[in-house]
Amino acid sequence: MADFTSDDERMLTTLLETILPPSTDGRLPGAGGAALVRHVASTIERMPMLRTVVEYGLSGIGERARQRNPVGWDALSAAERTAVVREFTAENEFFLPGFLFLVYTGYYVDPVVVRQFGFEPRPPHPAGYAMEAEELDALLAPVRRRGKMYREV
Amino acid sequence: MSEPTADVLIIGAGASGAALAWSLADTRMHIVCLEQGDWVDPAAMPGMSVGWEARQATDWNFSPNVRNRREDYPVNDQASPIAVSNFNAVGGSTILYAAHFPRFHPSDFRVRTLDGVADDWPIDYARLEPWYDVNARMMGVAGLAGDPAYPPKELPLPPVPLGKLGTTLAQGFNRLGWHWWPSDSAIATREHEGRAPCINAGTCLVGCAQGAKASTDITYWPVAIRGGVQLVTRCRVREITVGDDGMANGVVYYDADGVERRWKAEVVVVACNGVGTPRLLLNSRSKHFPDGLANRSGLVGKNLMFHPYAMVTGVFDEPLEGYKGPTGCCIMSQEFYDTDVRRGFVRGYSFEIVRSFPPVYAALWGMTTGRLPWGADHHRAYAELFDRTAGMVAITEDLPDPANSVTLDPDLVDTNGIPAPRINYTLSENSSRMLAHAVARGREVLEAAGARETIVDSPMRVAGWHLMGTARMGTDPRTSVVNPWGRCHDVRNLFIVDGSIFVTAAAVNPTNTIQALALHIADTMKRNLANLFDAD
Repeated sequence: MADFTSDDERMLTTLLETILPPSTDGRLPGAGGAALVRHVASTIERMPMLRTVVEYGLSGIGERARQRNPVGWDALSAAERTAVVREFTAENEFFLPGFLFLVYTGYYVDPVVVRQFGFEPRPPHPAGYAMEAEELDALLAPVRRRGKMYREV
Repeated sequence: MSEPTADVLIIGAGASGAALAWSLADTRMHIVCLEQGDWVDPAAMPGMSVGWEARQATDWNFSPNVRNRREDYPVNDQASPIAVSNFNAVGGSTILYAAHFPRFHPSDFRVRTLDGVADDWPIDYARLEPWYDVNARMMGVAGLAGDPAYPPKELPLPPVPLGKLGTTLAQGFNRLGWHWWPSDSAIATREHEGRAPCINAGTCLVGCAQGAKASTDITYWPVAIRGGVQLVTRCRVREITVGDDGMANGVVYYDADGVERRWKAEVVVVACNGVGTPRLLLNSRSKHFPDGLANRSGLVGKNLMFHPYAMVTGVFDEPLEGYKGPTGCCIMSQEFYDTDVRRGFVRGYSFEIVRSFPPVYAALWGMTTGRLPWGADHHRAYAELFDRTAGMVAITEDLPDPANSVTLDPDLVDTNGIPAPRINYTLSENSSRMLAHAVARGREVLEAAGARETIVDSPMRVAGWHLMGTARMGTDPRTSVVNPWGRCHDVRNLFIVDGSIFVTAAAVNPTNTIQALALHIADTMKRNLANLFDAD
């Protein structure tokens, strides 16, 4: 697990919440929970290229925040944070794909989140998913009516 | 320590090596297979954990350059719009493939005669038909008899379920009056030869922990090993050696500890597919073969064929339950399979319907296509995408072109220091026109099925699954590398049994044909054991 400083961890938490805030109806949580911070930390341990992305992002966004307010990121409102991230990502196009990979691979396995989309929070194996075999005769009738269509040699 | 000796030494334990080993086992010869990868433990497959989708992007990626495992060799595919996909393990790329399992058509073996392009094969559909049947039983192929796009064939298992997604798309094809049919799939839709039935987990492309998908580690290999074949894993062959008589006499390889070793053999069989095989032959230089083994024609590595893919994804208003079911197997359309010169290209393509994205991939796809914002609007946009997409790929017939090639990279090497392959490939004008046609027709059918929006990815970059043509088959040693039963013209105890011996690519997934060819070659070898090395 990557060893973030407490400042980094606090900023990462609020950055995640800026990227994915809670849904307006309250059904979906924001991405700033401890589990997602842990997911980011453990993933960048395994994928050093993403560590670079995260470290560069935290540093660059923090710097840009201080240009708005000398106290920095913590002092910004939610709208200001969004604006700072938009400015930063517009100038650093490589940041979002890597960072969002980290966010989405953690967020969309969160049991609270996947339940909202009708999923049980479990791996696909060994239970799988039930599917019924279809009655194909009626559906295929137009195709059968066309008759042989492969080319003779 | 004396050097071990085999009667037949097979290099590669994937689709073709496994089928050939199984077939030759009944000769009771001493058959050895060297495989650079290892057995895959189903319990360690990504589908057993909730984070499985992320692993598809990392250590279970299609690309060896991304996976970067010890057993993978790097591929320089920067000079190609299509990146090579493979997997190195017992089972080879069948571990990761979708198991879409169509046959070639009779016309696919006669493209010169019928359409005046490329070359005819020196064998025909009738020659392979009995081996397709054997392979259907051994791999356990599911499908429905009566497809008007094919000569009659019987398959041992009922077709995979279409689900709501497949049914919706089938109705779209019907509205246009176009052909479609349930896919031939190497997936056990009910218990088959000890394999458990498919549970529709949707994880086919990261390995099937259920064992329902037919990878050769669970189909051919257990039977071949019971028949006496010796399979040795984590052994990477560096070169095939030749004696003073110009015949192959064994291999030099690196074992699991990286120690260089030699294994002698009376017959050597190469089964490393369309990139691995030419790489090995080109790395096997000697005074007899200064340009690479069996390469007096200069055609080893030439005529690389992929299947250029276009993907068209439709976004629907209703949930399609598309995360359920075999990922790549649902229905196939061959409405545009055969040549119609009015379309502006020769030959044709198949459509294959694929399932929709599970939760993480839905988000990643939404990000890469620019349809999923971050911030406050994310949740609304995601809800409009997740489980509301249906994908279809067009798999187009690539024609052979000597300029499309596999060579050795001057700098890149694998973990044993063996030169890595380099791909030089340009999409042809014919393929580009075919892709454009397929994209337009794909949009039509998705809209006919009710899609409110379509998104195109063409040509797909990470789609170099099918690797063919780089040691082509023929009767003339000047224009081909192997004869009609896989024996190298230049080295009569060296055989090639994988996709590299294809003369043309057809417009369907090649694994079934690769294995039928391997079975045909093994059968011919067995019938000619007494005079295996004689002149044709």
